[in-house]
Amino acid sequence: MTQKNKAYSLILNNLIIYGIAIILALGVISIFVAILGYNVWDALRTLLTTSFKSSFGFSETIKKAIPLLFATYAFTIPFMIKFFNIGGWGQMLFGGTMTVVVGLTLGPLGLPAIIMIPLLLLVGIVSGGVFALVAGFLKAKYNINPIISTIMLNFIAYQFVNFIATSDAFKDPLEGHPITQKLSESSLMGFFGEIPASIIVAFIAIIFVYLVMKRTRLGFEITSVGQNLIASQTYGINFSKTIMVAFFIGGALAGIGGSLEVINIHGKLIEGFAKTSGAQFGIFGVLTSLVVAGNPLAVPFAAFFMSVLLVGADSLQRTMQVPVEVVFLSQAIIVMFVVIIREKYGKGNK
Amino acid sequence: MAFITSFIESVLVYTTVYTLASLGILISGRTGIFNVAGEGIMLASASAGFLAAFLSGSWLIGFLAGALMGAFFGLILAFVHETFKVNQFILGICLVIFGSGLSDLLYKLVIGVRLSAPIAPDTLRITIPFLSKVPIISGFLNHDVIVYFMYAATFTAWWFFYRTKIGLETRAIGENPKAADVVGINVSRRRYLATIIGSSLIGIAGAYLTIAITKTYSPDISAGRGFMAVGIAIFASWKPQRAILGGFIFAFIEVMSFQLQIISDKIPYQFFLMLPFISILVIMVVFKKHIEFPASVGKPYSRE
Amino acid sequence: MAADYINCKNISKAFGVVKALDSIDFVVKKGEIHGLLGENGAGKSTLMNILYGLYRPNKGEIFLDGKKTIIKSPLDSIKNGIGMVHQISTLVPEFTAVENIMLGSEGEKLTLHTAREREKIKEISEEFGLQFPVDVKIKELSAGIKQKIEIVRALYSGATLLILDEPTTSLVESEFQQLLKSLKVFVEKGVTVVFITHKIKEVMEACTAVTVMRKGKVQARVEKEELGIEKLVKLMFMEQNIEVTESALPKVNLPEIEISKNPVLQVKNISITGNDTSPGLKDISFDIFGGEIFGVAAVSGNGEKNIAECIINPSVLHSGDILINGESIKNNSPLDVFAKGVSYTPEDRIKEGILNEGSIKENVLLGHQEEERFLKKKLFIDWNETALAARDVIKEFNVDTPDEELSMRRLSGGNIQKAIIGRAFVSPLKLLVTHNPTSGLDISTVEFIFKKLVELRNSGSSVLFVNEDLDELMIVSDRIAVLHDGKLKGIFKRSEYDKYKIGLMMIGG
Repeated sequence: MTQKNKAYSLILNNLIIYGIAIILALGVISIFVAILGYNVWDALRTLLTTSFKSSFGFSETIKKAIPLLFATYAFTIPFMIKFFNIGGWGQMLFGGTMTVVVGLTLGPLGLPAIIMIPLLLLVGIVSGGVFALVAGFLKAKYNINPIISTIMLNFIAYQFVNFIATSDAFKDPLEGHPITQKLSESSLMGFFGEIPASIIVAFIAIIFVYLVMKRTRLGFEITSVGQNLIASQTYGINFSKTIMVAFFIGGALAGIGGSLEVINIHGKLIEGFAKTSGAQFGIFGVLTSLVVAGNPLAVPFAAFFMSVLLVGADSLQRTMQVPVEVVFLSQAIIVMFVVIIREKYGKGNK
Repeated sequence: MAFITSFIESVLVYTTVYTLASLGILISGRTGIFNVAGEGIMLASASAGFLAAFLSGSWLIGFLAGALMGAFFGLILAFVHETFKVNQFILGICLVIFGSGLSDLLYKLVIGVRLSAPIAPDTLRITIPFLSKVPIISGFLNHDVIVYFMYAATFTAWWFFYRTKIGLETRAIGENPKAADVVGINVSRRRYLATIIGSSLIGIAGAYLTIAITKTYSPDISAGRGFMAVGIAIFASWKPQRAILGGFIFAFIEVMSFQLQIISDKIPYQFFLMLPFISILVIMVVFKKHIEFPASVGKPYSRE
Repeated sequence: MAADYINCKNISKAFGVVKALDSIDFVVKKGEIHGLLGENGAGKSTLMNILYGLYRPNKGEIFLDGKKTIIKSPLDSIKNGIGMVHQISTLVPEFTAVENIMLGSEGEKLTLHTAREREKIKEISEEFGLQFPVDVKIKELSAGIKQKIEIVRALYSGATLLILDEPTTSLVESEFQQLLKSLKVFVEKGVTVVFITHKIKEVMEACTAVTVMRKGKVQARVEKEELGIEKLVKLMFMEQNIEVTESALPKVNLPEIEISKNPVLQVKNISITGNDTSPGLKDISFDIFGGEIFGVAAVSGNGEKNIAECIINPSVLHSGDILINGESIKNNSPLDVFAKGVSYTPEDRIKEGILNEGSIKENVLLGHQEEERFLKKKLFIDWNETALAARDVIKEFNVDTPDEELSMRRLSGGNIQKAIIGRAFVSPLKLLVTHNPTSGLDISTVEFIFKKLVELRNSGSSVLFVNEDLDELMIVSDRIAVLHDGKLKGIFKRSEYDKYKIGLMMIGG
């Protein structure tokens, strides 16, 4: 086989993997739906078409896709150097909380939106990044497995949200639940029709991730360490620095996601926000990323596809009373299959 | 005195959960399988165990169902890893998600929505004549049968690993699978066994949450304890005798922070709720020098 | 004449496409101390691992004591009385000697008779003259003691055939003499020994018969009365079929050129601490001048890897100093060293040299990521410039690929190596450190790589050429330094080359 043919067969193989993944996805869900005694055909149609049948369905899909995109990046960037950031949710929560703290504190100053919004996003970036950096640091310095540390940080962040949302300075006195007062108008992002304006930030983030990973020295070093740690160190790349930077970037992206949820969707801090379809975005981010084997360039498409499934799953529950967990659980099975196929396929090429 | 005794009593309840789960994790870890799926196993077993206990009216059948659900997860983990050499951590995370989905789904399917939540049957209590009346000591002994099971499991695991030949062989696999292989020990078979047995213990810990502690089911009932158990197994350097110590310490922190949250009005209660999660990280940093890993844990093994 | 104890007939084994053993016939007689001699990669360990059941042969039969035997796993071989002491310790570092020896033994599984076993182990070690502390964790013991423990473990499980895989790599002389004594005791007690080594001196002292292997084939079985150093060296290093000899070696034109007076590289009394796989380096000094290829000859595991690595990453130095163009690099990071015009191609090209999933372009950038030429505003990588450099490498080094975007793992071994060497030439090169650049490559690729090394030398730069193949070193080096056991044994000028002498020095003779 010539080299060129080999390259084509590589692309073809990837298409086959994703094709199999989608077929498997629908297959597994169908089996569950059938076992539970629902009409498979109706269920699949609802699952795949709800997003595109109404403008409400589509805007719901976008509203899920944006935080999912950031949560997926949060896992993907550290995963490029083979470490697991399960703390995307915690980083979103922390980023969102700090955004509200700063937003409510500066609110009385009456700064214009043009200053407030970038400032609040910056708060999300820095606080999310620093929160994740804790895990990177614990790995680099104390060899603590990031799976453990990031999950612990999730629980810590969850309590931190409640602390802020119930504190005298920020809480909404009329609410029984931990919820803060509303942010001032100039802190909030608007909508294009029903599409949240944060979609602009999402597109900027997509371009940013592409640029950092593909165009900068930093992205090159992260990619290199992930592919071959020994070779990277031999040729002068510092491992500790790379892992900390990767966690910071992942966390910063999650942090923006948290900020956007607050300033574009809720307008205030709500206990345990950044959840959808019965689970938090961090977990969906992990699944989404694993489906595309942590390829950052494929993340936006995967996040959109997953959101279609999630919106479909919500609709399934509403219209056919199919429990939303069916889709959730199927996703875990699908990821397992995809990982197995990829492992088998990878061996054949070595 | 009565307060201390009842405090110890409640600590022991959570010690049981933490110890059984971290025992389960360290048993497979000793053969090189790093089971990070503990949270998912606990959730699925909490649900399956509760349902079985509720439907049959028997606590014993409930715990058996919990153990069986755990074994099922262990089988998947061992099979997929040993057959396809898939990364253990990716598998573990998939199983966590699978377990948390499965737990709610099972409950919804079997029970659905009811006005009054179903209650699990009482678990058999064992009191020891005389000793169970002595203050403080009775805190350790005035309990249901699973607490005693936890004592027995810890002792058995210790005895197995340090006083039997098969235990020595099992530890050898975790330290150096090649060394075990060259003296004729079947590495893969041992990994299956350890993962299945370990996961059953995690399953019992999960079932304990619903059948004995809350007596009802609610979503996300393990609330991170499955992950804490992984941390405890690491803190324990994968030794059973230290796992029970770790289990007691973290149960103590959990119960204490719960109690303090009621009495303290200065410090916001959220910081007490954070305490277990912060303390596990702090302890791992502080005890860094005293933490050892089986050398092969998390790594696949093949000969060529 | 004693009966055959082992008789391997027509054994072949391939790993993927690499042929490790090619129709091997191998005979060991009862009561022998049988030396299995050969260079690294000759197939000695592979053959023994087949005998021990760790690998299955693709072809061939094994007869033990005259009976055809199929060995599927170590358990089978242990049952047949075969014990093996592996090159890399297979003891559990966290366990004591007693625990390690008990591991493989038969008997009840649910008890642990440590006291009883300890006595039994002590008896065996006294009987065979192998003393060691029984209750200390293995990780705290020296290599020599670990070896004794492995031997006793084999004897404990009833071995009547003992395979020792390079047992002397990490032993000091006195330990070797002790081992020698024990071997004689084994034979007296009815144990047959196979002794794998590449050190002739040891073979001459210890063995009663020798089989020499070379490149996956058996050269000859030599009986005790025919044993002689000269004969063994020739069998080990030289082809037997004369007609193959000439065409099998790469040809290179090495013109006389002016060698500069100023040293490019000065290595001054460096020492590096050893470990399980290497003796480290002991007080080594040499200079390399502009316009020469400086070869380092060593049998693998004698410190040659340290020599190559310490120049790129001087932080591993224990003492001594390294100077490049007169400047000390002792406190430099790899990138600092690269910036001084040094480049490196590592021994294991796949594990240490490349980004498997990355494109050729990305691989060409590796090691140059800090150079101004490839950066825009210090932050961004200039991929156009990188692509140009990659295309140059592809063109200059004949890398067979449609373009620079192809993934590295799609290339053949030879093309990967050409790309790695080409990468070193991307920036102005004063010194190229290259370790086994030709291993496993076909002869035309080897010639091509040598041509490039010579071109570099002719342009006035230098090459530190660490290589395990002596033939190749002699063809392309201006000088050859011989390294044995971490010590510099001698430096030969081209006019003084003598294959026999150098070979002997490499194996400690």
